[in-house]
Amino acid sequence: MNSTLSGAELLALFGHFLSLSLFATGGVMALASDLHRYVVDEHRYISHTQFVGSIALGQAAPGPNLMWVVVMGWLISGLPGAVATTLGLALPALVFPVLVSRAGRLPQFDRGLKALQRGLGPVAIGLMGATCYLLVSETPGAWKGAAMITVSVLLLALTRLPPMVLIAAAGITGAFVPW
Amino acid sequence: MSAPGRPATAPLAPEETARPASARELFLTYCAISLQAFGGALALTERTLVHKKRWFTPKDFLGLYAISQVLPGPTGMSFCVLVGDRFFGLRGACAALAGFLVLPTFIVIGLASLFQQNQHLPAVQGALNGMGAAAVGLIVHTAARMARTLRGERVGVLVALATFGAVALGGLSVRTVMLSLGLASVAWAWHRLGRKA
Repeated sequence: MNSTLSGAELLALFGHFLSLSLFATGGVMALASDLHRYVVDEHRYISHTQFVGSIALGQAAPGPNLMWVVVMGWLISGLPGAVATTLGLALPALVFPVLVSRAGRLPQFDRGLKALQRGLGPVAIGLMGATCYLLVSETPGAWKGAAMITVSVLLLALTRLPPMVLIAAAGITGAFVPW
Repeated sequence: MSAPGRPATAPLAPEETARPASARELFLTYCAISLQAFGGALALTERTLVHKKRWFTPKDFLGLYAISQVLPGPTGMSFCVLVGDRFFGLRGACAALAGFLVLPTFIVIGLASLFQQNQHLPAVQGALNGMGAAAVGLIVHTAARMARTLRGERVGVLVALATFGAVALGGLSVRTVMLSLGLASVAWAWHRLGRKA
C-alpha cells in the first residue's frame, strides 16, 4: 500500500467506478483505458507497472475477470480501496438485473434487446482494442515484454494451453529473466 | 445472437430442467464455479448450469446471457444476479453473487499482499512482469477472437474502429463514447432490425 486515501477521495473513487460501470458493455477488461487514465495518469494512485500487475494477479487467481478491480483497489488504498472499487463496479450489476426481472416485460423487449446487443457489440470490440493498445504500447521490459506477449498470443492461438498454466509459466520465466 | 427469443421469465418445462433446492445450493454452486474459473467464467458457467445441473435449457441460458450483456455492469455479475433472482428472489441473487465473489476475493487479496511484501526482490518483480506479459497476451487473444465476429459487418467494423480511435488515440472517456457512438450504433441496429421484419 503506497498511499492511504482520505474519505472524500475514497468516495470519489467509488463514484468513478460506479459511473463507469453504468456504461460498461461486456466485460471489465474493456474499461482498462478509462480506468488507467483515472488511477494512473490523473490521480497517480498507482504506477503503470502496478496497474499491469493488478491485471496479472487478477488473471492468475481463480474467479471472474473483475478480481482485477479488487486488486487495483487494494493497491490504491488497502481494504477500503478494494471495497470502494469493487462495490462501485458491482452495484449496477446488482440493481439492474433485479429491477428488470421484476418488471417482467422482457418479451416485448425483443427488438430492443437485439438492437442493444448488435449495436453495442462493435463498441465493446473497439474498447477491447483500446485496452490492448494501452497495455501493449506501455509494456514493461521493452522488447522482452513484447516478445513474451507475442509468444503468449501464439501459444493461445495455436495450442489448447490453459490460461492458468500460461500465466504460471510466464511468471516462472520472468523471475529468471533480467528485466 | 441467434436465440434470445424466449422470454427469461417463461415457465420452464418440468421434464427438461430442474431447480436448485435452496439458496445454499446456489451459493455453493457459484463457489465451485468461481474457484475453477480462470480467464473468464462463461464457458464454465454454461457447462455447470445447463449441462450438469440442468437449471436452464441452452436457449434460456442464451436469452438470460443476452440480457446481462446489455444491462449496465459487468456481464458475469449481472448474469449471476439474474440466475439467483430467478430462483429465490433477492435472497438468491445475494447468495449467487456471494458465491461468485467471496472466495476469489480472499485468494486474490492474499496473493496481492504476498507479492506486495516481497516486491523489493528482483525475482518477484520479474515474475510479476512475466505474468503481466502473459495476461496481456490473453487479453489480446480474446480481443482478436471478438473482432472476428465483425467479419462481413461493414458498419460494425466502422463503429469498432471509431471507438478504438476515440478512446485509444483521442483519449475520450467510455461514457462519452457510449453516449455518442454507442447510441448511434444501437439506433442503426434498431433501424436494420425493423427493416428485416
